[in-house]
Amino acid sequence: MRISPRRAFLLLAAAVGLLIVSLSVFSVYKSRKVSLLNEYENLMEDLQIIADDISSNLDAGDPEYYSFLETTAKVQAEGENFSYLLMDSTGVVISPEFMHGKKLVMKDIRPVETETPAYLAEVWGADCLVLRYHFPDRPLELAGVYDVKYLFADVRYTIASFLLVLALFFGLMLLVFWFFVIPAVERIMARKEQAERELMIAREIQEKALTREFPDDPHCEVSAVLRAMKEVGGDIYRCRLVGRKLYFVVGDVSDKGAAAAFVMFLISSTIHSRVGHGATLAGLMKEINRLLCDNPDYEMFCTLFLGAVDLDTLELEYCNAGHTRTLFDGDFLAQDPQLIVGIDSGFHYHTQRVQLKSGDRILVYTDGVTEARDENRVFFGEKRLRDWMQTRPAAESCAATCEALLDTIARFRGKAPQNDDIAVMCIKIL
Amino acid sequence: MKITLEEQNDVILLSVSGELDADTCPVFQKEIEPLMERKAAKVEMDLSKLTYISSKALRVLISLMQRLMDSGGSLTVTKVSPSVLDILDMTGLSRSFIKD
Repeated sequence: MRISPRRAFLLLAAAVGLLIVSLSVFSVYKSRKVSLLNEYENLMEDLQIIADDISSNLDAGDPEYYSFLETTAKVQAEGENFSYLLMDSTGVVISPEFMHGKKLVMKDIRPVETETPAYLAEVWGADCLVLRYHFPDRPLELAGVYDVKYLFADVRYTIASFLLVLALFFGLMLLVFWFFVIPAVERIMARKEQAERELMIAREIQEKALTREFPDDPHCEVSAVLRAMKEVGGDIYRCRLVGRKLYFVVGDVSDKGAAAAFVMFLISSTIHSRVGHGATLAGLMKEINRLLCDNPDYEMFCTLFLGAVDLDTLELEYCNAGHTRTLFDGDFLAQDPQLIVGIDSGFHYHTQRVQLKSGDRILVYTDGVTEARDENRVFFGEKRLRDWMQTRPAAESCAATCEALLDTIARFRGKAPQNDDIAVMCIKIL
Repeated sequence: MKITLEEQNDVILLSVSGELDADTCPVFQKEIEPLMERKAAKVEMDLSKLTYISSKALRVLISLMQRLMDSGGSLTVTKVSPSVLDILDMTGLSRSFIKD
């Protein structure tokens, strides 16, 4: 299930908000309700009097000693609604009962009248009073009034401040994300989706424009292959057997994407259709040239190699419009360089002819072959292609030749990326 | 890839060195963007130090030439390297671009 950025962000914000709220509730729960002792000094004096009195009247070790101490402290405490701890000189808690035997860890006891800050201490159940007494040679000592409220107040204030800052920061981040980051992410995602949709459409168009099933004739063999880059380009190949004439075209529409694929499809289907109605190659080239020139909105140009092999006479008639040099019989075909299609609507195209014989192979390709580069940015080039073609076994099928060329280029490139579409068509006269 | 642009006697001299390929073409396109908007501009290009031009870059040059011509200007290539000349010959663009 795909979640939109806004929804994902809201879920995340809700989770973080819940966490902050939980932390707040937890800290409030853990902090103690401590009431202020308003008259610490008075209490201190009173308790010291009690302590002195106890010391002078009771022996340490007497069970009543502790009980008296506790009761007295409690009485003093009750009016102010605070609780207390009694501990012995080693720090072990005597009272209240639920704390009995626990060791009180206190780094320091802060006298209430001083301004020293509270240190962290483990004080459980006690709010503010600690009495410490010693046996027997030392008088009862009021260790001090330790106001746990301060401790927890500090900690509470600290926690509260921290949470407030966190909440403010969180709120600010929420606004920034909602108004800036999320819209930017949505724009990027929308562009990516649109690009993917366009790529899909372009691929479909390209699929339809290329010949998939090649003519099966005892006098010739044809095969072609296209290796596209990630982005759909404008390479074309098409062939059609009409009577005893094998028509073929290989071309390269400038530009990439859905628009190029559309123009490629237009050219390819125009050729396919016209050759069935006896169109001449020069006439076809003129028509396609007009098609592109008369639609300046396309802003596209195209190299094309149109050919027609008469399977009875084995004559190849061809018309080249700015396309790469065709390989024939181990060398380059004599091709008059004519203007690429889509520039000058008045350009006059002419055809050329060459006589073929049994065993001849024609290789037509796009510049993705010769302009493939290796890791050192060296081009594959025409010479390497010609030399490679001369090594192909005579019995090799056209399909195998095309695939072998793609493999050779891939090995030549090594780790260097493919920089253009590659289209190759091979025709063999049997 | 390096581009230099200067104006001399109402003629804009544009020289490009290095390679115009898929990576450098967008930079080239951005640099010549102001030229596309000029009316009746005469542009002369020195491509003697340009070693390679891709089909995409050719397309950009053709667009520039057409736009300049539509507004009464012109684009000609006064100097060109052998490798780029080969490409211009093959595509039949030599006659369009190169001044005799």
